[in-house]
Amino acid sequence: VSETIIDSPDPLIDNRQELVAVAVAGRIAPARVPTHAPAIDGDGRYVCLPGHGGVALGVHSGSPVSQFVADHLMVGASIEDADWQPSSPGPLHLLSCIGNSVRDARGRAIGIVAGKRGGIAPGHYAPNLLAVEAPDSTLDRLMPDDRIVVEAIGRGLRFPAWPDVGITNASPRLIDALRCKEVEGRLSVGVKTIVPAQLAGAGLGQDVWIGDLEIAGGSAQVADVELRFGDLVAFRDLDGRVSRYYRPGFFAVGLVSHGPSPTPGHGIGVTILLSGPADKLAVVTDQESAFGRVLRSWGEEDGPKGAGVTALTQFSPTGST
Amino acid sequence: VLRPRFLEAALGWASDHLEPGATLGHSDPSANEALQVFSCVGNQAIVVDGPAAGDLGRVIGKHGGVLVAFPPVTLRRLAPGERVAINARGVGLGITGEPDVVFHSCDPDLATRLLEPAEDGRMRVRVRAVMPPEAAGAGMGMLARQFNLDLQVSEGEPARIARDLHFGDIVAVLDQDHRFLRGPREGWLALGVIAHGQSIGGGHGLGLVTLVTGPSDRFILDQSPDASLASLLSSQDRWM
Repeated sequence: VSETIIDSPDPLIDNRQELVAVAVAGRIAPARVPTHAPAIDGDGRYVCLPGHGGVALGVHSGSPVSQFVADHLMVGASIEDADWQPSSPGPLHLLSCIGNSVRDARGRAIGIVAGKRGGIAPGHYAPNLLAVEAPDSTLDRLMPDDRIVVEAIGRGLRFPAWPDVGITNASPRLIDALRCKEVEGRLSVGVKTIVPAQLAGAGLGQDVWIGDLEIAGGSAQVADVELRFGDLVAFRDLDGRVSRYYRPGFFAVGLVSHGPSPTPGHGIGVTILLSGPADKLAVVTDQESAFGRVLRSWGEEDGPKGAGVTALTQFSPTGST
Repeated sequence: VLRPRFLEAALGWASDHLEPGATLGHSDPSANEALQVFSCVGNQAIVVDGPAAGDLGRVIGKHGGVLVAFPPVTLRRLAPGERVAINARGVGLGITGEPDVVFHSCDPDLATRLLEPAEDGRMRVRVRAVMPPEAAGAGMGMLARQFNLDLQVSEGEPARIARDLHFGDIVAVLDQDHRFLRGPREGWLALGVIAHGQSIGGGHGLGLVTLVTGPSDRFILDQSPDASLASLLSSQDRWM
């Protein structure tokens, strides 16, 4: 049961034995049309497309983000804090990490957290959502306002040997799946593409635990690669350890959480997982990288078929003694 | 805010998002929205009640509220809760034959002084500094007619450029299209005024209120130390 801990290569060992797992309740978010801040495209036209909350059947990690006509679309079921202002991130949003298991009100496994999306200015703009990757057969029975529980774990995770590299929004299982290596004194991680700091848009200046940082301008400007939900992406010259901001010589590595938007300054959303100075954190591009597949398979394992094998039990300290 | 005064150095104060002058808001959300959207930099403000009633000021920027500069004697008689009215004018302003050049929050008299016709048909504008696109921080993706764009000036080239900036300085940011929302766009630029101070939070910084945006090839940028509201606004009412 504790294999994930023991198998970690020595220099990359993290402090996961210290982490607390907590059940945080929320609900399936209803689909919303943002009337307070209506979407306007680059020509000033009002655009109303789905993507803000609800359950997106047939939209999964690993699918190309440009496959759907939508605005800030996330995979599967969107969930949010219940009894909370939708414009403010609550404990569900701030504690949940990518890879955490999600169950319904009766305790049945649904899937896993596969993305985070934040409002542009906390307290002013909704929504603050998490995406749940799950099989369509599970998504099919979910309804907006249904109670859900995330088994949240990941806050506090760090590499004691790499104090300058921050880990955020990442569960221990996600860190394992990133397959970080030590290469010539640096922590090395593979990504699909690297985005220049000039393309960082909405999400700058915010707490890195809120949602994502958007690649302004959409997919057309992101190198030559087609981005998919769950792909790993790095921002160059960006420090994403506490908030997200321009800082030459830093990398922020994240995961594609949501699709593009027709709105200027907005675009594909990247939830930050690792960040640090380039002399400590190396980023290697691999256009064949397809991390969405990992999330999709976890969603199936943690769904009804694989019930019982959750991220929580996989590294239970009781199994390690 | 009594110290620093508007037009003083923008950096060097132990503060976060410092708003020089007086900050205006309205308790009714829709009235507050109107105050935010219709107020334009350069508009005249008049104190309505309290000991300073009748004193005049000028709108000098926008943040969460509308920022107004008053002479020191007025600021020392103002208190929170007193009312101030704005003679709001400027929304809808445009230039005939320049459909891509869009104004925001810009009083027509200020626009006339800000943009001078050049011999070759372009518009000449004096700027205190030209910022590279990576300076654009929080405020990207938000409506250009409200709030402002925070310039990330704690690192790299933007930090060097920001060293000499003052509140009220006119600054250009390259590769920006602010016609509707603030977004990056190669070959375009945004011109604005420095209205609020530096922040300790990464991604935040000096607040640039968008005044005009358009394709870069429509403008001639002249770097000048007096590219400031100090020289662009009429001082007849002694708002400084």
